[in-house]
Amino acid sequence: MSSKYTVLLLLLNIILIGFLAVNHRAPDLKEDPELMELLQKINRSGKEVNQALLSALNIKIRAIWTHKCFQCHSSEKRKGELALDHYEGVLAGGEDGEILVKGQSAKSDIIRRLKLPRGDKDAMPPKGTALSPLQINAIATWIDHGAYWVDSTIKLFYEAPLRLIKPELPASKTASDHDIDRFIHPYFKQQRIKWPKPLSDHQFIRKVYLDITGLLPVPSAVDQFIQDTKPNKRNELIQQLLNDDENYALHWMSFWNDLLRNDYSGTGFITGGRKQISNWLYNSLKKDSSYIEIVRSLINPHPGSAGFIQGIQWRGEVNSSQSPEMQAAQNVSQALLGMNLKCASCHNSFVNNFSLEQSYGFASVFARQPLEMHRCDVAMGIRAQPSFIYPQLGAITADSLNDRLAELSDLLVKPSNGRLYRTFVNRVWAQLMGRGIIGKVDEMDQKPWSQDLLDFLAAEFRDNQGNIKDFIQYILTSRIYQSQPVDYGTYDEMCNPGFVFKGPAIRRLHAEQMLDALSATIQPMYPGVSFDPAGYTIPAYWIWYPDKDFDRITLPKPDTVFLRRIINLPSIQKAELRLTADDEFQCYLNEQLLAEGSDYRHIQILDLSQQLKKGKNIFAIQAVNKGKLPNPSGVLFHLRAIGVNGDTVNVYSDTTWVSSKVNDLDHWKKLKFADTAWSMVHRYGSYSNSNWGKLRRFNFDTASFSSFSRASLLAADPLLKALGRPTRENITSRRSEEPGLLQCIALTNDPLLHRRIQEGSLRWLEKYRNQPDVFIDQLFLQLMVRPASKTEKNKMMKYFENNPTADSVADMIWAIIVSPEFQFI
Amino acid sequence: MDHGRREFIEKMKLATMAGFATSLPTLPFFSSCKSAPKNTLTADSVILLWMAGGMSHTETFDPKKYTPFKKGMLSAKVLTTFPSIPTSLDGIRFTEGLEGIADTMHLGTLVRSYRAADLGFILHTRHQYHWHTCYQPPQTIQTPHIGAWIAKELGPKHPVMPAFIDIGQRFTVGEGEELKAFHSSGFLGSEYGPFIIPDPANGLESISPPEGMDLRRFESRHKLFKELAVSGPLHKATSYQQESMIRSMENSYALLKSPEAKAFNLNEEPAKTYEEYNTGRFGLGCLMARRLVEQGARFISVTTEYEPFLGWDTHENGHIRLKAMKNLIDRPVSQLIRDLQEKGLLDRTLVILASEFSRDMLIEGRPDQKVLDQVDVPEKVEDLKNYGMHRHFTDGCSMLFWGGGVKKGFVIGETATERPFSAITEPIVIDQVHQSIYHALGISPDTHYEVEGRPIYTTPDGHGKHIKELFS
Repeated sequence: MSSKYTVLLLLLNIILIGFLAVNHRAPDLKEDPELMELLQKINRSGKEVNQALLSALNIKIRAIWTHKCFQCHSSEKRKGELALDHYEGVLAGGEDGEILVKGQSAKSDIIRRLKLPRGDKDAMPPKGTALSPLQINAIATWIDHGAYWVDSTIKLFYEAPLRLIKPELPASKTASDHDIDRFIHPYFKQQRIKWPKPLSDHQFIRKVYLDITGLLPVPSAVDQFIQDTKPNKRNELIQQLLNDDENYALHWMSFWNDLLRNDYSGTGFITGGRKQISNWLYNSLKKDSSYIEIVRSLINPHPGSAGFIQGIQWRGEVNSSQSPEMQAAQNVSQALLGMNLKCASCHNSFVNNFSLEQSYGFASVFARQPLEMHRCDVAMGIRAQPSFIYPQLGAITADSLNDRLAELSDLLVKPSNGRLYRTFVNRVWAQLMGRGIIGKVDEMDQKPWSQDLLDFLAAEFRDNQGNIKDFIQYILTSRIYQSQPVDYGTYDEMCNPGFVFKGPAIRRLHAEQMLDALSATIQPMYPGVSFDPAGYTIPAYWIWYPDKDFDRITLPKPDTVFLRRIINLPSIQKAELRLTADDEFQCYLNEQLLAEGSDYRHIQILDLSQQLKKGKNIFAIQAVNKGKLPNPSGVLFHLRAIGVNGDTVNVYSDTTWVSSKVNDLDHWKKLKFADTAWSMVHRYGSYSNSNWGKLRRFNFDTASFSSFSRASLLAADPLLKALGRPTRENITSRRSEEPGLLQCIALTNDPLLHRRIQEGSLRWLEKYRNQPDVFIDQLFLQLMVRPASKTEKNKMMKYFENNPTADSVADMIWAIIVSPEFQFI
Repeated sequence: MDHGRREFIEKMKLATMAGFATSLPTLPFFSSCKSAPKNTLTADSVILLWMAGGMSHTETFDPKKYTPFKKGMLSAKVLTTFPSIPTSLDGIRFTEGLEGIADTMHLGTLVRSYRAADLGFILHTRHQYHWHTCYQPPQTIQTPHIGAWIAKELGPKHPVMPAFIDIGQRFTVGEGEELKAFHSSGFLGSEYGPFIIPDPANGLESISPPEGMDLRRFESRHKLFKELAVSGPLHKATSYQQESMIRSMENSYALLKSPEAKAFNLNEEPAKTYEEYNTGRFGLGCLMARRLVEQGARFISVTTEYEPFLGWDTHENGHIRLKAMKNLIDRPVSQLIRDLQEKGLLDRTLVILASEFSRDMLIEGRPDQKVLDQVDVPEKVEDLKNYGMHRHFTDGCSMLFWGGGVKKGFVIGETATERPFSAITEPIVIDQVHQSIYHALGISPDTHYEVEGRPIYTTPDGHGKHIKELFS
């Protein structure tokens, strides 16, 4: 080893150790700036510190203790005989003696123990993160100044006031200034922030389309918009998009599903312990029900909206903090009031002022009988009386469950309950601007970066009867919304105290927007839906041979199967068949080959008026399940015949069919064939609910279909999941926007994604075969909402090598889809 | 304390650089803002061999008196339905059909006294959720799979590999939704979730360019992506997010092209070894796990797969089906241990074989806390169909450990010789199992994150204590 190398090594080690040291100094990234300021003031005061400061310091100390120490050292659980939740307890100390000497922090045992290194047997807390130097300093300062104790009934954690009074609208220089911008101007001035540049028309139209309908604008609409010279064209576009009730509802469905924990499949459904609210939700969005109506329907529900407060009835023993009533209390608190009741469901909360009694009181509102309280899952032998967690708004006094729910819904939407309105407007602001006015949207006691703006928006929303579309429009028409987005770094960085608003945050496309964009421009991603707003249904099933292992039904094995159904018909005037199968099939009617298929998405639609006879007809289907492992397979069949007398005869794929794996050459197609040994088929899912989703085109009664299934109507599949669709077992108020390795692997090689892009590229190739530069422009216009630049065109043309193929076209489409410009709004 | 992703990547770069230069074990220092673990690091990787469905201990690794089938015999008299065989562990016997694994016991530890939780009702997926996350469902937040914790704290050994890989489970089976619930990184963030490979025979597909795309096209497609990414008008305004996107796409590309990705291709294995493992999907999964450990994956789970009423989930035909299940696991598991030993990897690879609970002829749940009977047990066994362990028993289960610092040739705990076959000495619970795994990997019991203001530890309240006797 040369000496130069040794020196380099040493240097590297020094850098490394230095880096480590810096890191382990690690003051908590989220140090309390208020506490810092308080301590500075106290230190500057000299010997006589005023009582207000000491009170404030005491409250801070007690909040720290609640969060870090009460798990072991409160009246509920006195570890080491020490309780810190009342003054007598603090002064008395514990089994090891007194913890503090008034006026002398250096002699106080609590300070000694807080400062000990992690792992020392006397260190406090014994596990978890140590208190930060700032926090320890605060406690020492408090001791040195006499350990002043404020009235015990004081609230230790800041609670945002409930009442909502509309602030005055700041004056503006120009009459045309939007209300929201009038709050931004003085804020920017004070913070010395320059207004971000405005969005170009291209950027704007892409953004509003995605934010209102979840779809990209088509080039003709873009052209029209760009050419339009009306000064009011942006506002008009916003209005026009909001009037598209269907697409608005289908896009915002995802926001509400995430928030209300609603899904089309998931844990808890298997036993009927969980109910969807999908139908009610979709209709509420479609007719633009007000927020007030929505809250009332959720809290004081009718059958369609009851699923939210009903929660999930789990089988077996459940921790008492997860009883359905407690779930209701938690979910209502979180979703509608931006408050975390979860901690208080087990013990007095360590993170806010709520007590176990309060959480049980609130949960009892949703219960038929007052609930027995449990602390850390141990029954206490007391029952809680129903109560509202914000008693200053009113009481719940009714006797019956239904009446209590009616009272609660009244309380929640009261104009004096500013918290309800602030919570919602903050969520919508976060959705559209990338970060709430309060960063953590479920913690509405945190400080907003502008109290006035938040209050103004909430009051405006409330006074406008909680009209949601109006509110969305309100934000979208502001100048600040229509500005260039700002890079704030990670989400964690965005939520640090000391956040300064500089403009809208860069946001990532959601899974549904991504896949809908592909469906609209390249190739429909999904042929079916998991939730069908129209609710069409037929009693048809996906049927297959009943594959078994040890007498137990398994998924269909890769194999060929045969199915038969004899149908007895009267004289008919008309007959139509809908038929499909996964993976491949041939269908024979009265021994003639009627249809065959190799892609279940392609639904055979056949007129059989001539082929069917009066009397007995035999349908015989040969079907193949491909693949290596047992996997979902099935045949779906619906014959509708109308007799000469006008009667309708329906024949569906169901248990009236029989099946076999034995290949009896051609005999099995014949009417006269002994199939008594054949097995009854197994139903691997129903038309409405199966592995394939409800196939939209397998439907006689709908004249026109939208050309593709909106992804918001699909239950999570591996691709949706990889792209960020959350499990909706719990409330999700914000999706992660990080494109991690697993997600990028999915983008790189997911088979479904790849197949669809390949299929789409074939169609594009057909359409634009001899005009590659038109093709490139169209692709950019449709996906990027702008024409391709010269450089981009050259790169693409080079990629094609003058001869575009399905593969090179697919590659181009893919490169655009995964590019940051496409992925971010 | 959550670190921004940017910081983590910076740290990783520095750590890798420093690691290469000094070969210090730097990774533990960068795991998070916690005190440096005082545990000795004895393992770098973990392989979990998951016997999904409830594997009866008395029919496998903890045999009782052999009671051969006699038509009309009393059900209550049926103890073990197989004769027993010796193992390389003195005094310890397994049932017939596990000769291979029996031969590896001098390299590992047999735990006979694991006790599963009381969840009030036997539901496989709930017990599996509890086993894999250490938290009893339902929870108010999404709790992570142990593999996700490990992926988050340690990352992969080799930077391009996914840290957490899950082999053998399809989610199209019954209770698929409940299975998905714990195959999750929960609040840790989706990048720590499992990389799922239902069929190891097709493992290469998961890690290859899409079907029909050759390497040349894959490369030129990626090149096109990079050119576009930097040529667009927005490039002037690059942001943290956009850079993050480009970087993750680069990583994914690197993985799919990397020589390490060959680990996923079982066809690269010499035919002779391939056949040793090839008893079916599970066996090939063991082979893939070995190859993945060689290439730097951190946590690999190989399951016999949960499909309701199939596999180990014997509601009937217990004896016959156990024969088949033992046949499925014996050769590949023993070959895996032997291979790891031969390649000098066993000492640093912790291998665990476990199930969510055990089975018994008569008892559902545990003797003093029985739960709803799910299987009808006739008084007399008239048919082979009723001969076997069909009810779900939680009071005594077997678990096997090899490598990663675990004692060689050791036994912990025992169960009763007469029914009920409960654990009677040294009962072990899941918190201890998880903590033992973390102990071997050097992950502090203190490890926690604040979620909605509440610290969530790797084991509930951080109370799990590792099993001291397990380690040498």
